[in-house]
Amino acid sequence: MVFNTGAALLDAIVLAVVSQEEEGTYGYKITQDVRKAIDVSESTLYPVLRRLQKDECLEVYDRQFDGRNRRYYKTTDKGMIQLNLYRTEWKNYSEKINELFEGGVTV
Amino acid sequence: MNRIEFMTELAALLQDIPVVERQEAMKYYNDYFDDAGEENEHQVVEELESPAKVAATIKADLNIPEEERKNGIYGEYSETGYRDTRFEKKNVPVGRTVQSEENRYQESGGYQYHTGQYQEAESGGSYGGEEPPKTNSALKIVLIIAIILIGAPVIFPVALAAAVVVFVCVLAAFLIFLSVVIASVAVAITGIVLFCTGIMALIPEIAVGLALIGTGLILSVLGTIGTIAGVKLCIVVFPGIIRGIVWICRKPFHGKAVA
Repeated sequence: MVFNTGAALLDAIVLAVVSQEEEGTYGYKITQDVRKAIDVSESTLYPVLRRLQKDECLEVYDRQFDGRNRRYYKTTDKGMIQLNLYRTEWKNYSEKINELFEGGVTV
Repeated sequence: MNRIEFMTELAALLQDIPVVERQEAMKYYNDYFDDAGEENEHQVVEELESPAKVAATIKADLNIPEEERKNGIYGEYSETGYRDTRFEKKNVPVGRTVQSEENRYQESGGYQYHTGQYQEAESGGSYGGEEPPKTNSALKIVLIIAIILIGAPVIFPVALAAAVVVFVCVLAAFLIFLSVVIASVAVAITGIVLFCTGIMALIPEIAVGLALIGTGLILSVLGTIGTIAGVKLCIVVFPGIIRGIVWICRKPFHGKAVA
């Protein structure tokens, strides 16, 4: 991909990925899912997750899995509000860009 | 590098961040390795590049102020992955940045001491990086001299008094043990004298004589036992006291005179 992903867009993508799992999801899976869309290195996501957790957009809990405690991330209400804000912003942004690119034909 | 080496090094590199942050990060990467599975361990280590890079990423995010973070001025994610100029190695020798900083200080003229003595050394100019330590040691010497001059009238009498007190205490200890021995000898002598007196007294008064002889024998035995015990006690205690004195005298010179 030739376009860069800014910090806000990365936050939005991570929130979207986590919100897809009702029960919450874990670090490794989040990384794999994010990587389906954009190319990020494995060390990129931890700070993002930690920051979203501190901003109370994500909450964490540990659950038994395979004889060990696995840490799960789950979107909070605040996180959902934030994600919806990102969605609206993205919609406006992408529509405008599409308009420019495709001469008024919105997707 | 395997997983354990990676995690150990990462933990070491994160020693200077808050405990909670370290635990969180360690938990995350531990889980990450677990979930990636043993077969992918090597690949994950390779992709994470180095513990140093991971640690730098964690620390960087801890230090970014709120507004800057929101504006996202630091890093960008491009087709080559996350890019952050702060972590890119700059091939500038360490000494150079230091020197340029020094130049900046000299140009702005904001690096002057107000104490007259040091200005001369400073205006000498071309000492380079060695200068600060030099003035430091000079300052130290001046301070030491000042302390000696001001403190001498107080320190010397106090030191003398302390020495006298120590000496007297040691002497007292010596004398206490010596007196035990002397007292024991005296008891033994008294016993012998009483024994002799008892023999003399036998002639006029048998009962008194026998009593005196008995008392004399008891006292002389007790005295002898006391003397032996006292001497033994001295043999044990005196070397101890002497060693203690030697140790006290040595202490101030420790590491210099005594290896």
